[in-house]
Amino acid sequence: MKLYRLETVSWSDSQLLYHAQPRLDREGLNLLSPGSPYVCIGYFQDVAQEVEVDLCRQQGIPIFRREVGGGAVFLDGEQLFYQLVIHRDNPLVPHGWEAFYRRFLQAPIAAYRALGIPAEYRPVNDIVANGRKISGNGAAEIGDYYVLVGNLIVDFDYEMMARVLRVPDEKFRDKVYKTLQDNLSTIRRELGYLPPRQKLWDLLAAKFAEVLGRLPIETTVDADWRAEVDALAADMLSDEWLFSKERRPAGRKVTIRAGVQVEQRMHKAPGGLIRALVERQDGRIASLSFSGDFFLYPAHKLADLEAALTGVGLAEVEPTVARFYAEHDIQSPGVTPADFARVLS
Amino acid sequence: MKIDKYEFPDELLYDKEHNWVRLEGDVATIGMTDFGQDLAGEIVYAEVPRVGREITQGDPFMSLESGKWVGRVKAIVTGKISEANEEIEWESTVINEDPYGMGWFAKVALNGDPLGLLKATDPEFAAFIAAEREKYGK
Repeated sequence: MKLYRLETVSWSDSQLLYHAQPRLDREGLNLLSPGSPYVCIGYFQDVAQEVEVDLCRQQGIPIFRREVGGGAVFLDGEQLFYQLVIHRDNPLVPHGWEAFYRRFLQAPIAAYRALGIPAEYRPVNDIVANGRKISGNGAAEIGDYYVLVGNLIVDFDYEMMARVLRVPDEKFRDKVYKTLQDNLSTIRRELGYLPPRQKLWDLLAAKFAEVLGRLPIETTVDADWRAEVDALAADMLSDEWLFSKERRPAGRKVTIRAGVQVEQRMHKAPGGLIRALVERQDGRIASLSFSGDFFLYPAHKLADLEAALTGVGLAEVEPTVARFYAEHDIQSPGVTPADFARVLS
Repeated sequence: MKIDKYEFPDELLYDKEHNWVRLEGDVATIGMTDFGQDLAGEIVYAEVPRVGREITQGDPFMSLESGKWVGRVKAIVTGKISEANEEIEWESTVINEDPYGMGWFAKVALNGDPLGLLKATDPEFAAFIAAEREKYGK
């Protein structure tokens, strides 16, 4: 295996290089950063449901579908990527994907800690510091290789991330923006300053060497690799590839980090449509807003019902609503506590 | 029969990639075992193979995603996909909830007999599952 210290590359190379390595039967650890911003979606995602495609095209922001899992992300040069491409039979590969993440995420965690940021592993594939996500990671099997991709987040454009995600309405977008601010941190936020870029690359290389052993270093892309990247570009930069997955819409869910999601959910009860904008934290409702075309009397009690459900776990939703109905003599024709449980399930 | 907490119906055959097959004449119904789904964790996406596609025993033929990991599923038989369970594309967790029922992957028109498959009652299969549980800490 070699260490490819490529530092700044084109946005498309920042994705195509690691897709090409398994196809060339080549292991490697790539350290690189994209020269310009783009949006990257997970392998199974429907781009039309996940990303504001028109906005991205107007702003000249490319969109790429990777063969790795996870959700849509906004990527730019303020994120330092590590991309590990390792043969499945390499003795360093542990059994099971959770163990895989746990082993190889030791390197970025150690890099953060060397900077004085108290990073820790959070299953399955997050790195958090002071309760906030500070690195995004995903993995895939490509041919006989396992691929881990992730980043050190130096700085982050929260507003642009919230703008490029496709959401049902501006209220939802505002919620995504605020939840991102609350749950995603950066080196700049944690330290209050920006360390020299070269120091960060050196730290990442040194910490990966502790996990993988010392690797010979390359700083360029050789002709075979370039040819494979060019061949892949013809397919993976096409609209046919980008729009190749179409999924049935079923509400909207944005995962901020493991355990934190903002969701819009809908349920058609006999008495009308119930819509819920809900933020969940570790299985509990952190905040909630109901809308729709159902009737609830007295109407002003709807806000109290939302408050009563805040902090409640999924299993407790129906009994909590039933208790609230009894205590406040709530009437809601065609809508029962079970319907509220259903919309939040 | 049950091996530890995992169910392995007696009427099915199994490979060592955590797949099952139900053989009915020349048609095979295939899916992932209870142990396999537990190993994968919550399955958030599944890609159904297209009808008419030729698959080969031991070669990857579809993908699943769990824990931001996109993994390939190897075929337990050789043949041509005659029917695909599209429901698992929309509700992938059904693979976790009902791996031998609603969570089936596909039906395959067999091309030759599958090789090296085991019954749940074979001592070799019980030994394999015990070794896998040890390996993955399950």
